[in-house]
Amino acid sequence: MAETATFHYDVDARSVGFVIDEELYSLDAIYGAAYLFVDRCWLFLDRPADKQVQVRLRSKEAEPAGGTLDALAGEFANELLNQVLRLRIGDSTRSLREYTLARAFFGDDDGERPNIDDLLAELDAEELADDPLEIQVPWDTGS
Amino acid sequence: MKTIELPRKSLTAETLGFFRFGEISPGRWVITNDAGEWEILSTAEFDALLAGTIETRESLTHKGFLRTGSDLDALAERVRRKKHFVGKGPHLHMVVTTLRCNQDCRYCHASRTNLDQVQTDMSLETAKKVVDLAMQSTSPYLCFEYQGGEPTVNFEAIKFIVEYSREKNRYEGKTIDHSLVTNFTWMDEEKAEWLIANDVLVCTSLDGPEELHNWNRTWRKGSNAFEQVMRWIAWFNARYIELGRDPKLWHIDALLTTTRRTLSQYREVVDLYVSLGIRNVHLRPLNPFGFATRTWKNIGYTTAEYLAFYEQALDYILELNLQGEEIMEGTAALFLKKMLTPDDPNFVDIRSPIGAGTGGVAYNYDGAVVTSDEGRMVLAMGDPLFKLGDAASLTYPEMVGHPTVKALAVASYLDSLPGCSTCFNAPWCGVRPLHNYMHTGDVFGQRPNTAKCAEHMTIARLLLNKLDDDPDGDVRRIFDRWTVDRPRQ
Repeated sequence: MAETATFHYDVDARSVGFVIDEELYSLDAIYGAAYLFVDRCWLFLDRPADKQVQVRLRSKEAEPAGGTLDALAGEFANELLNQVLRLRIGDSTRSLREYTLARAFFGDDDGERPNIDDLLAELDAEELADDPLEIQVPWDTGS
Repeated sequence: MKTIELPRKSLTAETLGFFRFGEISPGRWVITNDAGEWEILSTAEFDALLAGTIETRESLTHKGFLRTGSDLDALAERVRRKKHFVGKGPHLHMVVTTLRCNQDCRYCHASRTNLDQVQTDMSLETAKKVVDLAMQSTSPYLCFEYQGGEPTVNFEAIKFIVEYSREKNRYEGKTIDHSLVTNFTWMDEEKAEWLIANDVLVCTSLDGPEELHNWNRTWRKGSNAFEQVMRWIAWFNARYIELGRDPKLWHIDALLTTTRRTLSQYREVVDLYVSLGIRNVHLRPLNPFGFATRTWKNIGYTTAEYLAFYEQALDYILELNLQGEEIMEGTAALFLKKMLTPDDPNFVDIRSPIGAGTGGVAYNYDGAVVTSDEGRMVLAMGDPLFKLGDAASLTYPEMVGHPTVKALAVASYLDSLPGCSTCFNAPWCGVRPLHNYMHTGDVFGQRPNTAKCAEHMTIARLLLNKLDDDPDGDVRRIFDRWTVDRPRQ
């Protein structure tokens, strides 16, 4: 049976507010979730007590339609859980990722590995073979 | 006080490789990584992946989403290939040969002058400096793109740059393309023959059917800009065939500017392009800055209106493809090249970091070197923030190492931007610091508040959902064709 996360929130005519325990949800997770709502809400963060963060999401609509604010609260809670997952995956894979990116951008060319121009030439050859209809000739390479 | 209870997903992080994720439609999750690899999973599959209980799949291991058995060196090679543009140097060199133009288009607000303003022509001396600077680029491929005003009004500058760069390239050994963006109202057979003989790629502005095109692109009283475009498209295409050129490789391409009147005419626009043998309808919204309020009211639209139009147009283009037509949507094709091939098309405006100054550079008629054609428009509006110097005195290291270029790179490097660094779209997306600056005075801006974020997220979701809901593989076959480039030589 899946574990359950419980969130309490208050709601008024135009906003919803959470008090979040920083022991359960890191500041990075709280900031990350809040940021994704800046297009729809005004975000107000406060610290009502030690290790607690208050997040208030105030709708940019003067009179939000019925149910909108409760839906907003649900979305924010969901996103907070997703942010925790993102951070944990990021932390757990940090060294793997650092190795991969270092190898990609700064790795030694030992002469055995094909260089990027070889790979591109190989791809071009494959693509030509796979393009019986010759559909695309690019002309615009930017802006 | 109210309460929400939500299931908390189990996570066995030590079984996983790095990935970003997002729900692209109810119950369907996409996971992506730095090499641009992706998979779409049901909620049950996604939960099992996180929990470390998913049935092992070759693709999940090969793409590096599962840790056990994954090959990090191979993954690094794919990242390297995907980011091949990093460090290559600017390949796109946009040259404004003149600001003079014989049209007065409704959406052109800062980059034209009347025909008597000859002082806005680029001199040949300046053109030489532009070529000298551009050809110092470390990129082995260069494209000189001629813009205006109407660039053919100063045809001598185009001829000079083509010929001088060709001469110079005898020693440089680069691959060089030349492309001209013209409204065709200043074209004559002598110019046309020269363009063909010198392999200059020609692209015109075609905003749609006659009434729409002529409304958008005001020309002199009593004239018909649309007829002029039709006449020259036919002339060039016939001449290419007469000369034995492959018409699939040599034909006139066209660019569309979307105004409010375009939104309801997506079928007519696409049908026109198909009838002319043009294979790429590149849909792009107007740059939403610099317009007078009254003008914007006439031609502008909201992001939501544009995206509704985009979705309808994309559906129509796909419908035509299913009927056998060969036509694609340009922005979708850029994303699909990132999603479906091991490479990146290096489109300077949709990459991380952005290509402003490192992938493309614009040269104003007076030799001012600017990070992009939009940077040139901002310069014309009186703000020099995006100006890097003057072609006469700027060195290549000064150009690519300019503080503005560095700032734009930092402001567009998605791995370091809140909201973007964890977004599933990060391997394919690109942000526009210049747009942010124009809207908020800050090159970073707030991504969720930008039209580009909404546009790129909508396009990625649309494409992924179409690929996910494709039981017979028809959509995939069409999209694969949209990713194929054929060189002319």
